Amino acid sequence: MKIVRWSAALATTALLLSGCGGRGASPVSGSGADPAAGCGPSTAVSTARDVDPLRPAPKPVLPVTVKSADGTEVTVKDASRILPVNLYGSIAEIVFSLGLGDRVVGRDASTTFPAAAAKPLATDQGHDLSAEAILGLDPTVVIADRSIGPPEVLTQLRQAGIPVVMIDDEQTLPAVTAHITAIAGALGVPAAGEKLAGRVTARIAGARKNAPAKPLKVAFLYVRGTAGVYLMGGKGAGSDAMIQAIGATDAGTAAGLSGFRPLTSEGLINAAPDVILVMSAGLKSVGGVDGLLKLPGVRQTPAGEHRRVVDAEDGALLNFGARTGDTISALAKAVYEPCAS
Amino acid sequence: MRLVRRFGLLAVLAASLVALCLFAAGSGQVDVPPAEVLGSLLHHLGLDLGPEPSAIQGENALWIVRFPRVLLAVVTGAALGCAGALMQGVFGNPLAEPGVIGVSWGAAVGAATVIVFGLTALGNWTIVAAAFCCGLLTTLLVYSMSRSNGRTEVVTLLLTGIAVNAVATAALGLLMFASTNDGLRAITSWQLGSLAGATWNSVAIVGPVAIVGCAASFGLAGRLDLLSLGERTARHLGVHVERLRFAGIVLIALLTSSAVAFSGIIAFVGLVVPHLVRMVAGPGHRILLPASALGGACLLVAADLVARTAVDFQELPLGVLTSVVGGPFFFWLLRRTRARSGGWG
Repeated sequence: MKIVRWSAALATTALLLSGCGGRGASPVSGSGADPAAGCGPSTAVSTARDVDPLRPAPKPVLPVTVKSADGTEVTVKDASRILPVNLYGSIAEIVFSLGLGDRVVGRDASTTFPAAAAKPLATDQGHDLSAEAILGLDPTVVIADRSIGPPEVLTQLRQAGIPVVMIDDEQTLPAVTAHITAIAGALGVPAAGEKLAGRVTARIAGARKNAPAKPLKVAFLYVRGTAGVYLMGGKGAGSDAMIQAIGATDAGTAAGLSGFRPLTSEGLINAAPDVILVMSAGLKSVGGVDGLLKLPGVRQTPAGEHRRVVDAEDGALLNFGARTGDTISALAKAVYEPCAS
Repeated sequence: MRLVRRFGLLAVLAASLVALCLFAAGSGQVDVPPAEVLGSLLHHLGLDLGPEPSAIQGENALWIVRFPRVLLAVVTGAALGCAGALMQGVFGNPLAEPGVIGVSWGAAVGAATVIVFGLTALGNWTIVAAAFCCGLLTTLLVYSMSRSNGRTEVVTLLLTGIAVNAVATAALGLLMFASTNDGLRAITSWQLGSLAGATWNSVAIVGPVAIVGCAASFGLAGRLDLLSLGERTARHLGVHVERLRFAGIVLIALLTSSAVAFSGIIAFVGLVVPHLVRMVAGPGHRILLPASALGGACLLVAADLVARTAVDFQELPLGVLTSVVGGPFFFWLLRRTRARSGGWG
């Protein structure tokens, strides 16, 4: 009897020991509150893969005359067939979020969320609009910004009697609510615009709550393995606004970069990010986190050392549309949560 | 008999151009069949004949999008075809072509500079003027570099073309580096060549330049025939060879720049068309020049039709399409020329 007890105790000890041995091999995370160390890669999974439209859907009150961003006055008489297009897909996202998705007749190449994916494309050449395709869709109002062109096509549409409302194309967080207000105004649903803008602002504000007292340094890397394109985001690239929105420091801005700049390995080592942020498809294209660590300079950064790589969905990260609030929440969760527990 | 065949060719080309234009204007994403195109045209001329476009936005699709596009294809194709034939006459070499020896690229650098820096010194005409200046410089450069002892050697001509292309590509690259997103997109679409940006405005600018250029080059036809007998013979027959050459070069630059300014680099049209015409009507410039202009227009209208309708909701780059056809033709021509003149003459 005694022997049995002893052996059981030994076995338990052995199990415990082996368990400890296994854990001992991985870096000890210390206080557990340091989000830069020892919590490995994570993915920013936005709960809102599809848009979350306002309910009930608002009824446009028309006609309205609005000032288009190109300086002209545009009168919208009918919003039954809306064509929202720009380079980032954010205008379509806002129109769908306002609850007007069933009135949309076509989409741009960047608008890929499930509710809009089945709409026909209005862009024939990559991201360029085709006047013929748009006339075929017969929209009663076109909402666009300067990021999409060519401008000749927009002129042709105006000649054809279709009102074209241009939205300012600034890519910053404060601009998101301004865009929502402008788009809602042009479609005769200003109250819905206010409601949506309020919702987005609240979600953006909520994302800062988990930020540690000492801000983390986050670098956004644009990587595309097959094309050999490696860029780092700096001031004004859009990624800086997203990183600052979660209460972190943008490593590119801190290093004095503006816009997207080709990545030099020394520049990355000097920037010394605690976390590296990439796009999901981009990360996949370089062969996952292991592939990313093989790029020159990545392993020599604190983020590379601790494998702190966060990836976010391509279509949502830099489009500054109505889902931006959700994307920022998900980003904050991915950067801070794996380490907090 | 020969005369019938020659003028018959012009008549056939003109008739097929008209038919192709009607067909091209009647094809696209908005459904407007050729009968309605004709009807709409007649209605605009004040004749109440034929059906009007029945599709929603059909009238607009026709008059705002398709007619300018088809007309720009006609004008650009004619300019390229004529420039090719003229160039082969002036250079005395069957491989001369604006795209191949770099004149198109030179003109594109001029046009790209205007777009990137937003120059508007001459209003709407700034692009064409800049393309013309750079095109003229490039043509003069290529001409003076590739001539020796009164003739143009194939190797020298092609190597000059390579050098010119290298410089022009570098200049375009620099402009791309310096430009904003809009400029970048404009330059990229030039390099691929496309008529997607056709508007009445562009037709109104390119049209007159191309028509004047073609008409003036038809005027050189007789003297070009004499020049093809050889420089010395032409001089003895009373041709002022240097003046003829200079006029030819200015016209080539004019035609090429008008073709490049709005539609980018569409290569090989000026190479393929004159050669096909020569096979049918012989080398006389009086027929060759107008037939090449007509043939170029036909080819480009047809190519653009394929480019915009081959794939649903997608548009193939036009310059890529003409190069896919023209490239192999160039191979064949190169081989044949080499075999005929023995080595690399």
